[in-house]
Amino acid sequence: MSAGKDGRRSDRIAAGVFWVLGMATVALLLFIIVEILARGLLTALNPKFFLGKPEAMKAGGGILPMIVSTLYLVVLTIAISLPISIGAAIYMSEFARRGRVSGSIRFCLDSLSTLPSIVFGLFGMTLFVIYFRWGMCLLAGACTLAILNLPILLRGTEEAIRLVPNTYREASMSLGASKWTTIRKVVLPTAMPGIMTATILPIGRIMGESAAIIYTTGLFVRNIPLNPLDTAAPLAGYIWYAQSEALVNDYRRIVDGGAALLLIMVLAVYFLARYLGKRYQQK
Amino acid sequence: MSAQARQAGIRLGALNARERNVKYLMFACASLSVLAIMLIFLFILRESLPAIRQLGVRNLFLSADWSPNVSNPEAGSYGMLAFINGTIMTTLSAMLIGAPLGIGAAVFIDQFAPPSIAQVVRRGIELLAGIPSVIIGWFGLTLLVPFIARLTGSSGYGMLAASLVLVVMALPTITTLSAETLRSLPPELQEASVAMGATRWQTVYRVLIPAAREGLLIAVILGMGRAIGETMAVQMVIGNARQLTFSPLQRTSTLTSRIITDMGEATGVFRSALFAQALVLLILAMVLIVSIRLISRERKH
Repeated sequence: MSAGKDGRRSDRIAAGVFWVLGMATVALLLFIIVEILARGLLTALNPKFFLGKPEAMKAGGGILPMIVSTLYLVVLTIAISLPISIGAAIYMSEFARRGRVSGSIRFCLDSLSTLPSIVFGLFGMTLFVIYFRWGMCLLAGACTLAILNLPILLRGTEEAIRLVPNTYREASMSLGASKWTTIRKVVLPTAMPGIMTATILPIGRIMGESAAIIYTTGLFVRNIPLNPLDTAAPLAGYIWYAQSEALVNDYRRIVDGGAALLLIMVLAVYFLARYLGKRYQQK
Repeated sequence: MSAQARQAGIRLGALNARERNVKYLMFACASLSVLAIMLIFLFILRESLPAIRQLGVRNLFLSADWSPNVSNPEAGSYGMLAFINGTIMTTLSAMLIGAPLGIGAAVFIDQFAPPSIAQVVRRGIELLAGIPSVIIGWFGLTLLVPFIARLTGSSGYGMLAASLVLVVMALPTITTLSAETLRSLPPELQEASVAMGATRWQTVYRVLIPAAREGLLIAVILGMGRAIGETMAVQMVIGNARQLTFSPLQRTSTLTSRIITDMGEATGVFRSALFAQALVLLILAMVLIVSIRLISRERKH
């Protein structure tokens, strides 16, 4: 198959097509971001909106309890899932041998990461909200999202731990430290910046998740949730609720503003992750 | 190695009682994923059993008559075939567009783009993956649906709008995994092809894509997984009708969108039938996972 005149021509055409395909994805992303911000940025940055109380029936409602709900949910979910992920990652990278056990754990992690989030939502509703009698609350949502995010968080944590050079472990052990002391005093502290970076991407996902939380955490509240057992209304779920079921006639303003605000939060998290990741790599 | 050193070596690796407990604790953390999968299966199955028992497999899974009765759930019909059809049709049509687009973008990143632009596209795709589905849904509802309506004279809601939204949702998965597969191919493949005088395009479609076949297939299957499970964005643009339809321009529902549309008012067997839909989703997802396992085992041989 030598490149004749036809070959070169078809190569140029193909190159053109691939340029279009590649740039189309970026264009699509920019279009979505610009469009959402152009529509909602003014509303989103109005203190009356982002510091205001939502209204159930009349226009002019704000969105503060939803922002607090989202942030609260992020903190609670990470507080539950990070220790579990670190424990599991240490086991998988330092102790587990390749075999049946670690194989089935990996299979379950793969399955968890492919299950639809609505399935997690229904599961969380039956187990935490109804069976445990917690009612719809932040804790129920956080437990649900902790399971949902376990695969991605575990993968990042494990990668960070595996990146710790083996010479560190050998040096520590040759000084007489036990395996456990080595993990605690050498491996974990070295991996910590990487673990922190790996935690940030799931934060973006928690902020954007809606199908798993609308039946575990709640859809609408007027007051700022304080207790983990309070019903709450994370922003992403509230945006869906406001456009599909809310009774206020200025729902469009609320959804535009809420979407812009949510997008800003997610973008901020993403760029923070990039920045920290880059700094971590340079060290 | 002297006996003394060997003994010391054993002591270095060994764990005392407290450390063993910590190891068990960490093992418990790792096993949590196994427990979670089993619990999810168990609870979804348990909640859907009443509907399966009362209605029978035929009336539940093979009928397209979904007429719930909110005040007296026992009096309604709960056949979910229209929504199974909606899920499969929207997912397959999304893949029809998304697979070439995503693999094409991956080939662009791997072969045609200068490094700086490849980096921009890669970052862009990462970012696209992070955009919440309610935002994509709102975008679809306010721009895509009116656009389709103006173009075709229909309401704009339906499987066409849903499929296009799903393309956006599945694209990052397909592109990222395809690009990874292409990058992991041995460079000799390409070098040999180019050395024989093939152009880049000939190398791509005669050498690289056949060599990466299994990996690309896995990327598309995982993209399907995203599409099957996507809920909010689809619910916002598909019209949420209960009818069985093959027309891309008529309102219908998918399994996910029907669950969230109805769950708020469902009780009794109505609620149980919605859990049975989640069970179908669960089974579809497991079919995808198992087929990926089989494909990657094939690849290793």
